[in-house]
Order: sequence, then structure tokens, then C-alpha cells
Amino acid sequence: MFGYYLRLAMLSIKRNPILSALMVAAIAVGIGASMTTITVNYAMGSNPIPHKSEQLFAVQLDTWDPNQPFREPDTPPDQVTYLDATALMKMAPAAKQTAMTKTFQVIEPQGEDVIPFDALGRAAFGDFFSMFDTPFLYGNGWDRDSDDSLAMVTVLSKETNEKVFGGENSVGKFIRIGGKDYRVVGVLDDWNPIPKFYDVTNGPFNDSEDFYIPFNLVASLELPRSGNTNCWKPSNEDGYQGFLNSECVWIQFWAELPTESEQEEYLNFLNSYATQQKELGRFPRPLNNRINNVMQWMDQQGVVQDGAKVVMWLSIMFLLVCLLNTIGLLLTKFTTKSGEIGLRRALGASKSTLFVQHLIEAGIIGLMGGLLGLFLAMGGLQGIAMLFGNDVKDLVSLDTTMVATAIGLAIVSALLAGLYPTWRACSIQPAVQLKTQ
Amino acid sequence: MLKMNNIKKVFRTEVVETHALRDFSLNVDEGEFVAVTGPSGSGKTTFLNIAGLLETFTGGEYFLDGVDVKGLNDNQRSKLRNEKIGFIFQSFNLIPDLNLFDNVDVPLRYRAMNAKERKERIENALETVGLANRMKHIPSQLSGGQQQRVAIARALAGSPRFLLADEPTGNLDSEMAESVMSLLEDINQKGTTIIMVTHDPKLALRTPRSIAVKDGLVSEVVRKEAVSEANENVAAFA
Amino acid sequence: MEIKPILSALSRNKTGALLIALQIALTMTIIVNSVFMIQHRQGQMDRESGINEADTFILSYMGFAEDYNEKTQLIEDLNFIRELPGVVDAVQTNSAPLTGGGWSMSLATETGPDADDVGTAIYFVDDHGVNAFGVNLIAGRNFTADEIIWRERTSTKWPGQGVITKALAADLFEDDWQSALGKTVYISETQPINIVGIIDKMQAPWNGWSGVERTLLVPSYTEFGGARIFIRTEPGERDRLMTEIEEQLVANYKGRLIRRVRSMEEVRTDSYRSHNGMNTILKTLIICLTVVTALGIVGLASFSVNRRKKQIGTRRALGARKLDILRYFMVENFLITTFGVVLGAVMTIGLNMVLVDMLDLPKIDWYYIPAGMAVLWFIGLMAVFGPAKKACQISPALATRSV
Repeated sequence: MFGYYLRLAMLSIKRNPILSALMVAAIAVGIGASMTTITVNYAMGSNPIPHKSEQLFAVQLDTWDPNQPFREPDTPPDQVTYLDATALMKMAPAAKQTAMTKTFQVIEPQGEDVIPFDALGRAAFGDFFSMFDTPFLYGNGWDRDSDDSLAMVTVLSKETNEKVFGGENSVGKFIRIGGKDYRVVGVLDDWNPIPKFYDVTNGPFNDSEDFYIPFNLVASLELPRSGNTNCWKPSNEDGYQGFLNSECVWIQFWAELPTESEQEEYLNFLNSYATQQKELGRFPRPLNNRINNVMQWMDQQGVVQDGAKVVMWLSIMFLLVCLLNTIGLLLTKFTTKSGEIGLRRALGASKSTLFVQHLIEAGIIGLMGGLLGLFLAMGGLQGIAMLFGNDVKDLVSLDTTMVATAIGLAIVSALLAGLYPTWRACSIQPAVQLKTQ
Repeated sequence: MLKMNNIKKVFRTEVVETHALRDFSLNVDEGEFVAVTGPSGSGKTTFLNIAGLLETFTGGEYFLDGVDVKGLNDNQRSKLRNEKIGFIFQSFNLIPDLNLFDNVDVPLRYRAMNAKERKERIENALETVGLANRMKHIPSQLSGGQQQRVAIARALAGSPRFLLADEPTGNLDSEMAESVMSLLEDINQKGTTIIMVTHDPKLALRTPRSIAVKDGLVSEVVRKEAVSEANENVAAFA
Repeated sequence: MEIKPILSALSRNKTGALLIALQIALTMTIIVNSVFMIQHRQGQMDRESGINEADTFILSYMGFAEDYNEKTQLIEDLNFIRELPGVVDAVQTNSAPLTGGGWSMSLATETGPDADDVGTAIYFVDDHGVNAFGVNLIAGRNFTADEIIWRERTSTKWPGQGVITKALAADLFEDDWQSALGKTVYISETQPINIVGIIDKMQAPWNGWSGVERTLLVPSYTEFGGARIFIRTEPGERDRLMTEIEEQLVANYKGRLIRRVRSMEEVRTDSYRSHNGMNTILKTLIICLTVVTALGIVGLASFSVNRRKKQIGTRRALGARKLDILRYFMVENFLITTFGVVLGAVMTIGLNMVLVDMLDLPKIDWYYIPAGMAVLWFIGLMAVFGPAKKACQISPALATRSV
């Protein structure tokens, strides 16, 4: 029976080619527009580390200005001070944790003809690699001893390793970064989480860094930093040490806390630490320390931009207009078929079989619209990539989930749109229809 | 009142030319009640359409109330239809979305007529057909006979000189047909010229004059008396 | 007019009318709000940065070699560039308008942590800054060569002079910008800065910042390991000099990296890339929406004409002129559209309220509503004109046909 309905539907679609084309086009345009924007929003809001996102926590300490919060409503700073970062690394009860910041330096490959290039690095603790499950192509991260002993070691990104060492196993070799030689201990495989959850402050859709070095080197070598720095109060002393001892926040801090009791213990520690610091005249605001897991953190930091959300909702409204349109066109179409429907009813077709027949027709139109819409969405995403450049290049690819969503959305939309016209067409009294036409 | 001389109507498609009317001539005087009969495809509907200015014709002359119809443009013909002709259709052609009052109002709307006068006319017309108490009903709430009476009221409201009825009883059972027919006879008595197209010989017998159309020609013009005589003769032989 | 019977006919055919009205309402809601957002963004993009953008470019440098001496190298570079034919002037700076990254501090008219302060962008420049940026000094004076100090990366000391924008002066001194000249303001709570000059306009580097017009120039060379050089050329010489200067600087000394050589026009494009992108998306949406809605009205109106062929024929038989039929459909559509745009006006304001909340947009100006209504009325009438014209062509003879 399904084959028969399918044939009837195809016949009916061919019978009014312009009307059918209009319906397919309306659905396609609506699906194309909404899928384009949904894809971008979906990528912005996707979970970058699904298997551990509930165990990794961004740490917030409210060390800010007593007169005003860091951000309304009463949100603590998104980064921590150097004083607190070093204190937490020493004392906070987490199996794994890391303070980190960005550094900006020049890499000088060996050899005469190779030109030096500038590179962004991440200064972090050795736990960084196992916490965030970075894939290694060669070697490994560094251990805690290296952190403590200020070892001059580095982990390179795959790209940097290709640029400097032609892609070969460079573990054990030396690389000149910012005028100093570092020993390579590991090379990462492709790793570019989207969003870049571990440092949304400096751009949630930036690429991951070109190299990684121990965090403690930043202070000891007074390395040039890059990235957001916020201060609410001038520092008391001049020089690098003054900066390190200031109330400026510039360090991202993450802890791995797999169980609820560990999380509770960690938060309790933060609060007691803050209370102690209050006695020293720091932490002038009421206690407001927080830990947020990955998805909570991205939500709090507004990783999915409001502008993108608005465009998405506008395009969904647009889809709605397209669907209203389709309802109208289907009404038109099915009404012109009321004679045929009346006849089929008279010849013994039940209301429900006719209903199914016409819903199949609507479904086919939805499917065609969905497929066409998919192509439009690909075009739309290309357009967005062209418009917004590098910032969005990782947000504009359709994965299988989105393809399935698009087709599903199209069919569901078309069926929904088809429901009312079908119901109306099928509630025709056969006798009336045959008599008056 | 109505004067047709050698009217021709040819329908052309790519391959075929159909002569729906050829040299059709007819004269109807003021106050007459004429029945036009003929089998399907004889051209009686084409005649009706031309008489009612719904269609143009290919050749010949047609004077309606002394006006040469041939030279008129679409708007002028609309005006003439609106003011001089009342239509009664086989399938009533009431507008299903409008109530009876608004339905009868339709032709009046196309005349410069104030609201008060329209109201008066509509009420009178519905009174005449005995439906004054159902003004707010919509057509689907009425029986076929009642619907046709509304259509007659609509035709009368504009007080046309000339009523064209197309199988007015075609969709009605005999009892209703009878009431519609006597209504038409009353109207005719009051002075309105009526041409009624029908394929029902019995109805044709009731009018003072009836003509038969065959193959696009007025094949006979028969007086009622003659027909009844002929019928009597047949009866006598039977 | 024949409004009453049209209304009563409509009330018996609510679905089609409602579909069109809803489409129109939604379309108006989206279009009017989109146009408003586009205008708002366009307004931001149209703001002038205050500097010369036509003949200027900026480059970043970063020293890395062991023998790199920033003090001598910078002065050497600046002298070299300033003497090149075609160069009007050049200045070392930490940032420039539209670049998106820079330094900000708070200024107050009194000392102490509790003084009311005003946030401002800071550009470190020397006595060539005003000329290189091409900004207009409208009061006071420029810096003198001997006022320029060297600033190390972690220094917290500020020079004693500053040049501020008119907008910053007005914000500091209760809208009386002229009174700012010669006054002392405090940076870092306690350090005094004497306002020696006021410039007409120079934007902060962040185009989305509410204080984007507030800028302070301070007389400093920076010794941060790297900075930017902002170069102004004679008209028409920029593109040639962009390549030439980059090549020459590299040839002169290889121990520093020259990067991101961009004309200010490119900087502006990059700066407003997302504004531009959003506007293009919204414009595309508006066009698609208009086409879809118009086609929808055409489709539904054709449907309604088809469905009413018989009654159109009847009306024609009863004396309606072609014009009457045309008018009937136009009036009918006008009524539906009117319902749609009234609903649309309410929804438009509703959506605007949501957007005000989400995007910090201002409230929509009242005239957008009637303008949007007029546009939708027009689109509706245009769309229905075709089907209505077709309806006119229906032969009155249709009335006598029984099928």
C-alpha cells in the first residue's frame, strides 16, 4: 500500500509542478536559513570534552573591588591573580589542577634559510595534558618535578613540529623559543577543542596554542605574556614582582574533581582560604567563590553569543513563515483535489487511508525541501565563513547530526504543515463533493 | 425588447471550428414569457449567454431594448446587464459566504444606490419570494427550492426589464419546480419580460410562446396553442 | 465601500485569511526588527575613528635576538621611516583605533580609591602622534620632544602630561570640555596628569565599548619587547610604502620580526567584520522573507480566486465590472493585511523588547512601526494584484456553466 501511496504522491506532485516547486522552495529556504544558524549555534554551544565535562571545574575567586562586582550580577572574575594561583597550586585539595596563561614569543628554527616566526604558547602545569586528555603524537607531557624545578621543557603542537622539525619525532631535541632553548618532551596530535573551553576569556573560538611550557617559567624568566589582564587597583610596587603581587587577574585556573565529595571539599577549601586572606586585607567582597564544570562555565561566560542566538531565533521565525506558506499552498492543492478525494471516499477509501495518502505526499515534499535546504545550508555556512573569516571557521561544518537534524526538521515541518490541509481535505463529505463539484 | 438577426457564434480550437449558433434570429416583445427548448448541445446555452451579454458573438446583430450590443465594451455591457437583465441560474449561484440579504444585495452594490434604497429593495424582493424572515441565513441552510427563490429575489431586486432563466427548475424536485414556475408566472404578469431556457417540454408548454433550438438554428417557432393541439392529436390517436 | 460584505465573507473563510495575516505579522516583526538592527549597526560602523584612515597603515614588531636593543632600534626605525619620501609622519604606539586590543585606565578629578572615575583608552605616543594619526588639536598644545619618557613593561609610573579627546574632557568635567585644559586629573588613584591639549576626536581601540570616544594620549616610548608603528603617507603612496617599509625594516635589522602590516582600511574592515556579517545575514533574511511572503500571498490569493471562480462569474453576470472584481480582491487583501500589520506592530514591539534585553539594543524608534506597516501593505497589494487581475479575466459566462 505504501508503494501505491508513493506513486499517487509523485503523480500529484507532478500534476501541479509550479505549486509543488513553490512548496519545496519555501521549505528549502526556511530549512536552509534555520539550519545555517542552528549549526553555528550548535557548534558554539557544543560540549568540547563530553566524557569529562562534569569532572573539570573552572575556579573563580572573588578578589575584586569592594565597590563593584567584576561583572553584574555579582559575578566573580573569570581569571585569578598570581598570588592565588600559586597558593591554590600548593594547597588546594585536587588530584589534578593547573594554572595557566598565554605567552607570546618568537620561535627561531635552526638553519640558515628558515625565517623566525611568532608563536602563541600556553604556560601551564604538567597536569594540563592529562586533565584535558590531549592526544600525543610523540612523547608525553612533563611531570610535577619539571614544574617544581623550572625545567626548560616544551610540548609542541603538531603544526609547530611540522614547521620546525618537518614532522619527525622531535622528542629530546631542542627548540629556540624567545631566545631560550627548550627540550621537546612531547608533540601533540591535532587538538583543537571547540569551543576552547579552558580559556574562553581570550577567545572561545581561537585555535589552540603552538607550544606549551611550564607555568612557573613565566615568573622566573619574566616571559612576555599575551591575553586579557584586568586590574581593579594599582599595584603597590614597580617591576615584574610588583605585577605578580598585584590584584590583577590574568590566570585561568582549572581543577579536576571527579566526585561530589571532592567538589565539596574543594569549594570549602576555597572559602576557608578566602577567609584567611581577608585577615590579610585581601578579598574585600563578601565570600563569593565558585567552581563551574565545563558546560556551566560556558553558559556563565556567554560562549554562545547573543547576536548568534538572535539570528537563530529570527531564522526559526522565518522557517515558521515558510511553513505557514506551505500550509496555505497545500490547502490550495488539496482543495483542488477535493473532487478526487470525494470520489475515492465514494469508492470506499476510509478517511484514515486518505489521510495517510496525503500525509505521504506532504512528507515527500518535506523530504525534497529538506534535501534542497541542506544544500542551501551548506551554501549559507560557506557564506558565513566568508563573511566572518577565521573566527568562525570551526563553526561552519555540518556533521552527521546536523544533516540528520535538517532532514528530520524538514519532514516534521512538512508533516505538521500538511496535517491541517489534509484533515480539511479528508473531512469533505463525499456526497456533497460529487454532487456540486 | 430583444431582437436578434442572423447571430453567429463560432468556437475555434486549434483543429476544430464549432458553429454553436448559425443565423440565429429571434424577436421577443416587451412582456412576453418565452421558453427556449432544445436537446443538449443544440446551442441553447450559447443563446442564453449571448442574450444575457455574457458572451460576445461572431456575426449578426443584437439589439437589447433598442441598444446595439455589438459596439459595447466590457464595462458598458456590465452596466447593461446590471440594470436591464436579471439572471436565474440552474445551480442558483448564490455566494456561499454571504447571507441572503447580502446575496440579494450583490447586483445592487454595482449600482449607485444609497443604503436605504438598497435595503428597501432587498426586503421587498425577499418578501416577494416569501423568505423575508430568513434574511440572516446563509445559502447552505436552505433547501434547493428556497435557494432558487433567493436567486429569483436577487434577479428581481434590481427591477430588471428582462429576466433570463437558465433551467430554473433543473435542480429541483417537481413540487419545488412548480412553486418556482408559478413565481415566474406572477413576475411575468407584473410586466417583466422572461426568457427561460429549459429542456423540459412540460415547462415549455406552460409559457405562452416557446421556441426550439436545434443545431444552432431556431428550428421552429411554435405557439402554445399549436403545440397543445398537436399533443391532443397525439393523445387522440393513442 | 463594500467592506461589510467582504468582512462577512472573510469571516466564513478564516483559515486562508488567518494564514496570510499571520505571515504578514511575522514578516513585519522580523523585517522591522532586522532593519532596525541593521540601521543600529550601520550607525556604529559609520562613526568616524577621528584619525586619518585613508593614507595610513600600522605594523607590529617584536624583537627576539640576543643583541636586540629596543631603545636604539626603535629610534633608528622611526628616523628611517620618517625620512622616507612619501611618508608624512610615523609614531610608535601601543595600539590604534579599531584594532580591538589596547590599554585602558581610569581617570579621576580627585585622588584616592573612592573618587568617581572615568574609564579611558590610553595610547602611548611621542610628539609625532598628533600629526601621524592626523587628529585635530582643538585646544592647548602637543607634547614636546623632551616630555617623552621611556616606559618599561611592568612600570606603574605615568608621565605628567596628557592630551585627551573632547569627549573624555566632557565626561571628566561635567560636559564643559573647554574647562579641562590645564587641569590635573589622577591616574592610578594618585598620579597627577596635566591636561596640556584637547583633540577633537580619536576613538578607543574597542568599537563595542560604550566609552569608545574616550581617549588619553600620554608621551611615552614603550620598551615592551614589541609594539606597533603607525605610519601616515602622502595620498596615493600608502600601498607602495606598505611593502617597501616592511622589506626595508627587515633588511636593516633581522633581529626583530615585522608582522601584521595592515592598512587602516583593512583594520576597519576587520574591526567591523562581524557587524558587516550580521548585516549581510539580516539583509539576506529580509530579501528571502519578502519573496517567500509575497509568493505565499500570490499562492493563497490564486487559490482563493480559483475557489471563487463561479461566484466571480456570477458577480460579473450580475453586472460587476472588471474593476469591481479587481477592487473586491484588493480591498479584501487590504483588510487581511491590515489585520496582519496591526498584529505585526504588537509583535514587532514585543520582539524589540526581547532584543533590548538580549543585545543592549536601544528601543525601536516609533516611526519604524508605521513605515513597516506601509511596506507590508504595499507588498500585500503588489502580491495580490496578479491573481486579482486574473480574477477580472474570468468570463461572466461561467455563471451558466453547471460544472
